[in-house]
Amino acid sequence: MADELLIGAVAYSPNVVPIWEGMRDYFADSDAPMDFVLFSNYERQVDALLTGTVAVAWNTNVAYVRTVRRTGERCRALAMRDSDLTFRTLFVARAGSGLGDLEDLAGRRVALGSRDSAQARILPLHYLAEAGVDAELVLYDSDVGKHGDTGCSDLDALRAVLDDTADAAAVGITTWEALQAGDLAPDAFEVVWTSPDYCHCNFTALDTIEEDRAEKWVTHLLAMSWDDPSHRRILEMEGLKRWVRPQLDGYRSLFTAMQRQNVADGW
Amino acid sequence: MNPHLLLDLAGTLATAPDGGTVSVAARSRTDAELASRWCDRSGNRFVAWHGDHVEIRRGRSPDPLADLPDHLRPGRRVWLYTNFDCNLACSYCCVSSSPRAPRRALGLETIRSVVAQAPAVGARELYLTGGEPFLLPDISAVVEACTAALPTIVLTNGLLFRGARLRVLESLPREQLALQISLDSAAPALHDAQRGLGTHSRALAGIHTAVELGFRVRVAATLGPGHRDEERELHRRCDDLGIPAADRVIRRIARQGEADGGVVVTRAGLIPEVCLTADGVYWHPVAATDPAMRVTDRVLPLADAVDLVTAEFADHRRRGEELVSSFPCA
Repeated sequence: MADELLIGAVAYSPNVVPIWEGMRDYFADSDAPMDFVLFSNYERQVDALLTGTVAVAWNTNVAYVRTVRRTGERCRALAMRDSDLTFRTLFVARAGSGLGDLEDLAGRRVALGSRDSAQARILPLHYLAEAGVDAELVLYDSDVGKHGDTGCSDLDALRAVLDDTADAAAVGITTWEALQAGDLAPDAFEVVWTSPDYCHCNFTALDTIEEDRAEKWVTHLLAMSWDDPSHRRILEMEGLKRWVRPQLDGYRSLFTAMQRQNVADGW
Repeated sequence: MNPHLLLDLAGTLATAPDGGTVSVAARSRTDAELASRWCDRSGNRFVAWHGDHVEIRRGRSPDPLADLPDHLRPGRRVWLYTNFDCNLACSYCCVSSSPRAPRRALGLETIRSVVAQAPAVGARELYLTGGEPFLLPDISAVVEACTAALPTIVLTNGLLFRGARLRVLESLPREQLALQISLDSAAPALHDAQRGLGTHSRALAGIHTAVELGFRVRVAATLGPGHRDEERELHRRCDDLGIPAADRVIRRIARQGEADGGVVVTRAGLIPEVCLTADGVYWHPVAATDPAMRVTDRVLPLADAVDLVTAEFADHRRRGEELVSSFPCA
């Protein structure tokens, strides 16, 4: 037990359990075995990483930024999903709204999701500010602590658009793609604006983690294959096709946004 | 259309465990169809529309037949009702065969086509039944066609092994062929009551003839729930006849055809055995004249028939109707 690398993850859905049990099983026969601990929110998880309760945290981008800030940059990202490299936020309105760009949202009612969600609140506010757009905000804090992982607040924002209590809503790309609304309900929504790609989750460790141990674990992680049915089941549930080395440029906009918005380092 | 439906689907499924089932309000057929299309695209399974809500299972279901023993997979056994006419009129006959029943023969050419296609669908055994197959003038050609491809079992009452038909029997191959002869009881009373006066002794004679000619003989009894004593006696008789235990089949009376009572069989409650007749493909040979058990009118291509049965069987199991049971006809 003492040799197992302890990974922290947040229980944002019932499927988190089979994902991490599958991961633990996958690593069991490797030279870098692991176990996991589930947290109810990302703040508890970051605390546990900083105190050494867990060696690695499966962090959202907001949790990663908080870890970097709280450790004075004495942490490192180990790996991420391929899907984490191309995360985006979309501003969406009712079809036929005539809204065609961010600037068109000036003076409009814009629905945003949870205050700790990069995709649903922090970055949308950043994009609006960058564009100089002053909008009337309709805010939904539906899943605070989960950093938007549940998608609840994205859906609440979209409901506001359908119910005409908002003119537009910001949603993360995963929620938008899950809806399939563009194909299945083209008369319901249209995309007003799509953000540049940014990065989402990563495995974060303190810089004190033993290099050889971390590398063995990452090497075995990267060896998971979409073509192996037993791996694929886990990859599908976690929303990726392959694990990749971290690319940190994609976090710059969020660092800037959280600094400008004075987003706290904890709750 | 409920404009919130997609949001409700995504939101509700997000809280469900993989493999878990949720309900989402959908009060029109249009909404149900939209939910079904969404499931197809999003990697979830649409289970059913119940008028006011849809039932959805998160994630793709694993193959519901994956844990099924191979020999129970649809198509492993292929049944052919060679004909429906019979020299007997048994009281429980599940397909109402009798001397008065029209022949409705499947036909040698169709059987040859089925046999040619059977290996490709994974068939392991062919079963020829009726009616009484030995009434057919071309039964020898039918059996030869079948045994040339796969192990074959012919179900017969064993009463016709005389004269020209005895010579037909003598000409049949011993390899890949078994004869399943009906014998309902050790003593004549029950057998004769169910199958006709004097038939017990003639069936026994048929068993002896087939055994002496070197055929593998199986014995099949059709019994009601109150016939436990007869079953024990019959096993003793089979011991005397040298019929091994693996070649004895005890069948229950099914509430089909001529039977007044018996086991109720339904598609949802019965492990299918693909059954081909002149009137089409049926779910199982125990119900080969029941319109509710007819799968399709088209016997060929065989793969289509097997696919239809397999898809429906998988659907029953996905819906949790796993209390299905087998009904051994052979």
